[in-house]
Amino acid sequence: MDQETVRTICYLARLQIDEDKAQKIESDLETIIEMIGGLQAFDTENIQPLYSPLEKTAFMHEDIENSDNQKEKFLQNAAASNEDYFLVPRVVE
Amino acid sequence: MVWETVIGIETHVQLSTKTKLFSRASTEFGKSPNTNVNLIDCGLPGVLPSVNKEAFYKAIRFGLAVGAKINQTSIFDRKNYFYADLPKGYQITQMDLPIVLGGTLDIETEEGIKTVNITRAHLEEDAGKSIHDQFDGYSAIDLNRAGTPLLEIVSEPEISSAKEAVAYMKAMHQLVTYLDVSDGNMSQGSLRCDANVSVRKVGDTELGTRTEIKNINSFRFVEKAINFEVKRQIKQLENGETVTQETRLYDSIKDETRPMRSKEFANDYRYFPEPDLVPVTVTEEQVNEIRSAMGEPPSVLRKTLADRWKIPANDAGVLVNQGPELVRYFEDLATRVGEGKVASNWMQQDVLRTLNERGGNITDFPVRPEAVADIIARVQKGDFDTSRGREIFASVVEKGASVAEVVAGMGIAAVDDGDLRALCEELIAENPKIVADVKGGKEQAAGGLIGKAKRKNPNVNPAKVRALAIELIQALP
Amino acid sequence: MSIQFKTIRELRDMLDTKAISCEELANDTHKLAEDLKELNCFVTMNKDASIEKSKIIDQAEKADSVLSGIPLAQKDLFCTEGLRTTCSSKILSNFIPPYTATAVMKLESAGSITIGKTNMDEFAMGSSNETSYFGNVHNPWKKGYVPGGSSGGSAAAVAAGIVPAATGTDTGGSIRQPAAHCGITGIKPTYGRVSRWGMIAFASSLDQAGPLARSAEDCAILLNEMSGHDSKDTTSLDIESTDLLHTINQPIKGLKIGIVKEFSLGDLDSEVQNRFEDSKKLYESLGAEFVEISLPNISASVPTYYSIAPAECSSNLSRFDGVRFGHRAENTDDLNDLYIKSRSEGFGDEVKRRILIGTYALSAGYYDAYYKKAQQVRRLIKNDFALAFESIDLIMTPTSPGTAFAFGSKGTQNPIELYLEDLFTISSNLAGLPAISIPHGKVNSMPAGLQLIGNFLREDQILNAAHIFQQNSSFHLDKPSMEEF
Repeated sequence: MDQETVRTICYLARLQIDEDKAQKIESDLETIIEMIGGLQAFDTENIQPLYSPLEKTAFMHEDIENSDNQKEKFLQNAAASNEDYFLVPRVVE
Repeated sequence: MVWETVIGIETHVQLSTKTKLFSRASTEFGKSPNTNVNLIDCGLPGVLPSVNKEAFYKAIRFGLAVGAKINQTSIFDRKNYFYADLPKGYQITQMDLPIVLGGTLDIETEEGIKTVNITRAHLEEDAGKSIHDQFDGYSAIDLNRAGTPLLEIVSEPEISSAKEAVAYMKAMHQLVTYLDVSDGNMSQGSLRCDANVSVRKVGDTELGTRTEIKNINSFRFVEKAINFEVKRQIKQLENGETVTQETRLYDSIKDETRPMRSKEFANDYRYFPEPDLVPVTVTEEQVNEIRSAMGEPPSVLRKTLADRWKIPANDAGVLVNQGPELVRYFEDLATRVGEGKVASNWMQQDVLRTLNERGGNITDFPVRPEAVADIIARVQKGDFDTSRGREIFASVVEKGASVAEVVAGMGIAAVDDGDLRALCEELIAENPKIVADVKGGKEQAAGGLIGKAKRKNPNVNPAKVRALAIELIQALP
Repeated sequence: MSIQFKTIRELRDMLDTKAISCEELANDTHKLAEDLKELNCFVTMNKDASIEKSKIIDQAEKADSVLSGIPLAQKDLFCTEGLRTTCSSKILSNFIPPYTATAVMKLESAGSITIGKTNMDEFAMGSSNETSYFGNVHNPWKKGYVPGGSSGGSAAAVAAGIVPAATGTDTGGSIRQPAAHCGITGIKPTYGRVSRWGMIAFASSLDQAGPLARSAEDCAILLNEMSGHDSKDTTSLDIESTDLLHTINQPIKGLKIGIVKEFSLGDLDSEVQNRFEDSKKLYESLGAEFVEISLPNISASVPTYYSIAPAECSSNLSRFDGVRFGHRAENTDDLNDLYIKSRSEGFGDEVKRRILIGTYALSAGYYDAYYKKAQQVRRLIKNDFALAFESIDLIMTPTSPGTAFAFGSKGTQNPIELYLEDLFTISSNLAGLPAISIPHGKVNSMPAGLQLIGNFLREDQILNAAHIFQQNSSFHLDKPSMEEF
């Protein structure tokens, strides 16, 4: 697994690995990826992926409001908020 | 160097459901921040999405109206990326198996009707809103909009100019409002347009590099943004430069497009099927129910009405544009009257005009087709003329009384033949010049008597007055 | 009268005969938890609210359900309104949910009292309860030894006799394996049997909630209450609920039990094999018949699981971004910096590893080879089971290839070592099948577990087989001495 790939997936996941742990984690990742690579040995031609153990279809709900808004509680849980909004460092688009 | 423009449009239509796509929070516009948010919309740990049936039905209605294939089984996928207004860190959308596939939309161009092919349309949830300039050093997040159902409609790159793009958006707007799929309000964000624009030399078959102009929110800006972008790309290419594939925003104040802040790494959305939502299936029966409930799509309906009632295409268009309820009203009236053109005239000149003045919709309009038909019948019978009929109509609307009551109240009564004769004789006696003209062969001069006749008795039928006056004058020695 | 090590039935008796009041029971439970806090099986105690509830129950004329007043521990993966819920992670160390998970609500509506939230592997990722932000949980049978994971705290709380039962979650064996390592009973139901609403998601298509208790019968009591369709969870099954106690006593003569050829039990530790043989003999003496079956693709279980679970978790854990709840890093330059720092500070190493693997498995260019491939192999595994179940009623395996080990002695060099702990349990999560673990003796003086895997929706059958085993043996009655604590 090259450095570039590791950096990319770390960024996609918004994770930073500490310098002192970097090597161990990278080698762990390689080990695991090698292990899961063992799947290639299995013949899956014409096999549909099984995304959920249930072969059922979704129940759909009616378009009726059932609001359980708890604005204060939601905002309180946030590390930064005012009485109306969640706050984050300013984004420049 | 002659250049041609190639445009593909992605329209994001906010569906007019009462609640969100995956939660039962309200979608009502204009509420105070973070109040249309429930546990699911907040993306709290442990919450699960649940599908809104009405959103599906609206999407299917759209698909049927554009003649698309409805995928009875459709799957939701996760599109993974990080942004402050995306609470879960992924958007639930549809990738491989969207609800609608294909279809067409007719647009009005200067050269006539052009058919644009639609690639697909799928359901996805909207993100919340970020406000960047209200709080010093912070961006504020409002999740009211997060989870609102969107139908993303993708066109083939078959649009050839900014004007056509506007026509496409207008046709889309008309269609989705007609179908009650969306309120189509661009300024409120119910209808958003992303335009993929590229240019190439005429004769080239390969597409040029395209840029995406995002989130254009008015018809006017669609035209201006595309015009600017086309000019910009042509200029670049003529200078020997290449067009960079990128996303751009339209700045309406400066009337220019500019690139969005470039991201360090290209975004890999890592789509995979949403494991919290098993596939959604709609049965053949349900699709048929939706199909029969919605009636014909507007493009077909315009033609049907024009043919069925022998009215000009334009008239049919005006009526259809008002929506299915008004079409129903018109057809009820036309059936009663037995004739299309007259009914159509009354619809446009009286019903629609009054409706627009008063506001409200046709279902609440106090004057029902039978009343209008009554007035028309009386005009045709000769009880009074059309302009009198209009007055009666206005009065019925204003007073809320019945036609008969208004007619009686205005003292409109049929003028019996004896009185009519007497009145004509009076007129003849009083207007020797007109008599002389008519006698001399100018029958149209008799028209001058009509106004005077009405002043004597407003209930006279002008045609009858004219005919009788001419008859009497001719009979004079 | 000591309440330690009592079963639900025994406590019910004590309450009904007024040998003890609910309030006394609740207080005694809290005292016991306090005395044994060295086990570190609880993250948050629910003292005030639980005492309040016990008082209210005492005021009622008589108990209206078997669980009325019974103290339970809830795994700290279930959202509990007003009561801190952490998933044993720093990133949620201050999170107070505004709502309660359906499974917990059902148990509380049935009258049970939530004593506290139990420690676990961080975000349920682990097989030894060594990844918790709040420190390791001790196995009540031996200090300094793991209880198994990820529901280590729940298993320890039950094994130590603090509570008669607890809830856990099982994604790859996280109920069954700690139950085995701690000498108690734990069942993972059929996928979709119990609502996942309020259960903080690790791997959505694999996670299931279930009970841990001192017997199959007690598990059935809890599972009866926890099960049921929930319209808030579209993956929950809309089926008639059945009383799992109704058939629990049925004789098992003629029961066909399959032994999986490909599991090569002959390669396991000889003591593990001996326990397995002993249990086989017991079942034969009770009338069961054993058949060798083949699950040809079963060796793919571990790689399949470790492609799918990390992929789903990498997405499920994206919501932990420091914006609306949970730990937010200080001194960040911009939004991206906030994400990166908050998440990196808030997640432990195992969680980060799995998120990275998952991100990789889903990324462009790798999706087909890893995630999609794994889901295809998953179908092969499911089909194997379906075929096998045409000729047998249940499948029997050891729950784990080994028993509880000393802290830090496995997986520190090579993470795969720990992943292989789940060898026998993982496949039932992939196929969505129900499976139970019951204690069946000791291996090197530590508890060992026997696993029964049932067909789709046949919890009744595995509970029945487990119960009959327990009626004819006494392993589930063994108690740790607790001298070290």
